[in-house]
Amino acid sequence: MMGLSGFADGMVLRWEAARPRTRLAIGVLLVIAVGMVGLTPRSLFGLPLAWPYLGLIAAVGWGRSGMAFGPMALLLLFGFAQDASQAPWGSHGLANLLTYGLSAAVSQMADTERSPLLSFVLPVVTLFFGITLVWLVASISSGHFGRVTPMLTAYFATLVVHMVIAPLFDLGIRRGVQGGSTA
Amino acid sequence: MPRASGKGYRQRPLRRYGFIIAVAGILALLLLQTSPRINEGVAPIRTAASDQLFHATRPSLIDQLSGASAKDRRILELEARVRELAQYKALALTMAERLEVYEEILNMQGEPGGAEVTARIMAETNGPFAEALLANAGTTNGVQDGYYAENDRGLVGRVVQVGQRSSRILKITDFNSRVPVMGEASGLRAIMFGGRDGLGRLTDFPEQGAFLPNERILTSGEGGLFPRGVVVGYVRESDNKDVRVDLAMLTGQLSYVRLKPTIRVLPPEAFPSETELAELSEDDES
Repeated sequence: MMGLSGFADGMVLRWEAARPRTRLAIGVLLVIAVGMVGLTPRSLFGLPLAWPYLGLIAAVGWGRSGMAFGPMALLLLFGFAQDASQAPWGSHGLANLLTYGLSAAVSQMADTERSPLLSFVLPVVTLFFGITLVWLVASISSGHFGRVTPMLTAYFATLVVHMVIAPLFDLGIRRGVQGGSTA
Repeated sequence: MPRASGKGYRQRPLRRYGFIIAVAGILALLLLQTSPRINEGVAPIRTAASDQLFHATRPSLIDQLSGASAKDRRILELEARVRELAQYKALALTMAERLEVYEEILNMQGEPGGAEVTARIMAETNGPFAEALLANAGTTNGVQDGYYAENDRGLVGRVVQVGQRSSRILKITDFNSRVPVMGEASGLRAIMFGGRDGLGRLTDFPEQGAFLPNERILTSGEGGLFPRGVVVGYVRESDNKDVRVDLAMLTGQLSYVRLKPTIRVLPPEAFPSETELAELSEDDES
């Protein structure tokens, strides 16, 4: 047991010491891995499984570190990959990008690090915003209101997965915050 | 701990512009796709991507781990096969009806119908003397000497002995069985007997020519032992006079057989005409 906790502590220390680019790369790998598994038919003992929108989780997490070109480009790419199903090209990319922008804006305006309520509400709201955008684009492109139930199940799945893996999408930088004394 | 970055202050407007441009670009792309012509242009890309990524039969990881994917794939294959065979069945029924009409028009003497019996195989003898089967149907079930036996794949043999409740079938794999056969495509005739290797061997070729590889071998109906057109097997190898046949019945089950009557064409003297009968009676009177 000690060995296991020691390994976990070591991993945490390594993660804290990791550079933003390394963290970004790990996040990208995670999105790709989960996305690839999500491409296969998803069922457990015959029951269909709701799959999380990992692109949105990445958008919320990376957005908290402020705006950057790298994450923006990656989120657009993820969006295009998601569009390969039947969505109009750019619909998921738009949702990812706007969620990223909203997360960045809220994180810049408010101190989400020190407010537990805000740190809880921010992903709930931003993920809902992203899912709603996907639903809106789907409704507009199809000419009728899209089905709500699958979007809701996907939203809750995304929220639950976000609670577990959100730290992996923290790039570890706070743009606009000046270094030095905090006193 | 999060790192502080002062560089962001200088680049923030640029990133904002970049963000706005990206959003505008995406919106433009979405709007462009409302044009049917552009949508048609990107459709092949989407089709190619969908083919690669969203193949309907691609099994999930869970299914792959549980082994359900192979079964599902097999079920899909079999369902497709059943759909395909259903078309052939419908076609066969239509053709059978048409054939019946043609035969009626031509006043053709077709193969006889009759009481058919499905019997269970009680015993099988594959000894050195004869390869025979014992079926649980006899004279009480309408089986007569000379009936032939078929399974789901083809000809099994001929009833050589009938009891009250059982009958013995001489298999076509027996060395002493003689089945008049013909090639379905070549039309060549021959006599088939059972070889030691479990294959049928052809002999007595009345015509010149060679059987085709993989050609289907059917009963020719000559001699009246078997009706014409019953599947016997497929030509495996043809080496001048040594033609061997893969027997179709061996690929099917041998637990049950269908016992069917054959036509027995008696010579004309067995059925004298009225004039002949009159002549005979005159001779007797004189």
